[in-house]
Amino acid sequence: MKRLNELTIAEAHRMFNRGDISSVDVTQACLDEIHSLDGSLHAFLDTYAEDALMSAKQADIRRERGDINGQLDGIPIALKDNLLHQGKTVTAGSKILSGYVSVTDATVVRKLKEQGVVILGRTNMDEFAMGSSTERSVYGPTRHPRDPDRVPGGSSGGSAVATAANFCLASLGSDTGGSIRQPASFCGVVGFKPTYGRVSRSGLIAMASSFDQIGPLTRSVEDAAIIFEAIQGQDPLDQTTSDHMLFHPAWRDDLNGVRIGLPRQAWEGGMSNGVRKTVSTAVEVMESAGATVVEINLPYTDEALAAYYILMSCEVSANLARFDGMRYGLRLEDLPLFETYAQTRAEGFGAEVKRRILLGTYALSQGYYDAYYLQAKKVQTLIRHAYETALRDVDVLLMPTTPTTAFKIGEKTVDPLAMYLEDIFTVGANVTGLPAVSVPCGFFEGLPVGMHLIGRPFGEAELLAFARVYEEKAL
Amino acid sequence: MSLNREDVKTLANLARLKLSDEELTIAEKELDNILAYVDRLSSVKTTDVEPLTVPAKSDGWREDVVFSCDEVTREFILSNFPVRRGDLLKTPGVFEHPKGGR
Repeated sequence: MKRLNELTIAEAHRMFNRGDISSVDVTQACLDEIHSLDGSLHAFLDTYAEDALMSAKQADIRRERGDINGQLDGIPIALKDNLLHQGKTVTAGSKILSGYVSVTDATVVRKLKEQGVVILGRTNMDEFAMGSSTERSVYGPTRHPRDPDRVPGGSSGGSAVATAANFCLASLGSDTGGSIRQPASFCGVVGFKPTYGRVSRSGLIAMASSFDQIGPLTRSVEDAAIIFEAIQGQDPLDQTTSDHMLFHPAWRDDLNGVRIGLPRQAWEGGMSNGVRKTVSTAVEVMESAGATVVEINLPYTDEALAAYYILMSCEVSANLARFDGMRYGLRLEDLPLFETYAQTRAEGFGAEVKRRILLGTYALSQGYYDAYYLQAKKVQTLIRHAYETALRDVDVLLMPTTPTTAFKIGEKTVDPLAMYLEDIFTVGANVTGLPAVSVPCGFFEGLPVGMHLIGRPFGEAELLAFARVYEEKAL
Repeated sequence: MSLNREDVKTLANLARLKLSDEELTIAEKELDNILAYVDRLSSVKTTDVEPLTVPAKSDGWREDVVFSCDEVTREFILSNFPVRRGDLLKTPGVFEHPKGGR
């Protein structure tokens, strides 16, 4: 028998409907679990016990009246600390935003509130989502729920731990180069990044706007679909949101007729034997469910990471120019104008943020723009063509989410490039804008391994259906 | 491509980041490592390749109309000012060398 805080969204919804449990029961169970375990894990930067219980109570009252919003009504979730939630502090894990109060709700937060979701708190993250370990939060690291000496991945590490450790039923994260999928893989939960343009970024503190996408971290593929369906859609506040036909789940029983492509360049590259073995076993499960598995050619694996680091840094240097100490956030006082900017930013930003601002400033500066930014944008076109070609031959691409399982705290902080290589399998989906999901597929030496599936543009319904068939067959 | 200390200083200046001597030393070394990695892009043949401009098909057009924010939102914006006088934001002087100055 599961405890209430261990339920999936779908399970809790069914139990609400039967009148077995209330939203207050589930919310209280989550708050109790946070209270007893989060002191050591540090997934949350803030919890809103009083507000959460109040929203839960309202959901229960609505249900008694027979006035139910939908599957998310009364479901307790957590938000990454880069999503605006009106009246609550939001810092993006940075000192420069310490004490900043959200002026409004992010579009995704507004939509979830309208569905009756209970918001438990905000979760820790690498500063401005720049990192793959959640060690780069100025508010201290988050720890892996199965081994406190290891990282949970990042940058949505707090959200991944909150879902994996049963502090909430699900959480929201953001994914710029793998920041939902990599921590989901490390912590053993489902992490889903929709197609670029599916979910409004309005109210998401921007890192690299052409790559950023919000998505769920959940305990099942079905739950990921439930949250995604609620937060998707065109938004006048984000002009990159698409008018494409909305996502609606279309589940299937098997993988008959489905062609799965294993990109040779990814599988031949560096990955731990444990990861290779575990994901290979998952591939066999998909084969036995009816899929045809073929090896395919997908060039530019290393180039995708290089192009990503150039383009992302350029966008970071532009996006973070707004943190100038003038209108909000930290400001050092009694200095001339230039020093106010330069010292405030020096004081407010951490080492990784500064490094990427410098790299972006360099790649955009006169004389280097063509060699770096423009060349990276051209390579991006080639990468997109390569993925489009591959996805004409197969229905989905499959590889591990990460080359290794969760690493030790401190292992990669001294070598930025080693940390960047964490994203080698995930950045492709950001560089091309494609939807991708990490699904737990077993353990190696006690640590979770994730299987990474990349689908066609706006093909989330089939992508998630494939993932769910695997999930059910693997049980 | 390799960066020297002066290059890093110039970049820091452009980016409005005051870096200590130690930070400059570290940045010089780390940026060199990263640039060595990303230099693989230069060997990709991109003759006649257009840069990718739109990450996804979208329809960004909407009416160009003014909409204001509600009183609650407005108060949150004001309360986030680092230094506030009434409803005004206090900032350092923008013109450091006014007319007639140096």
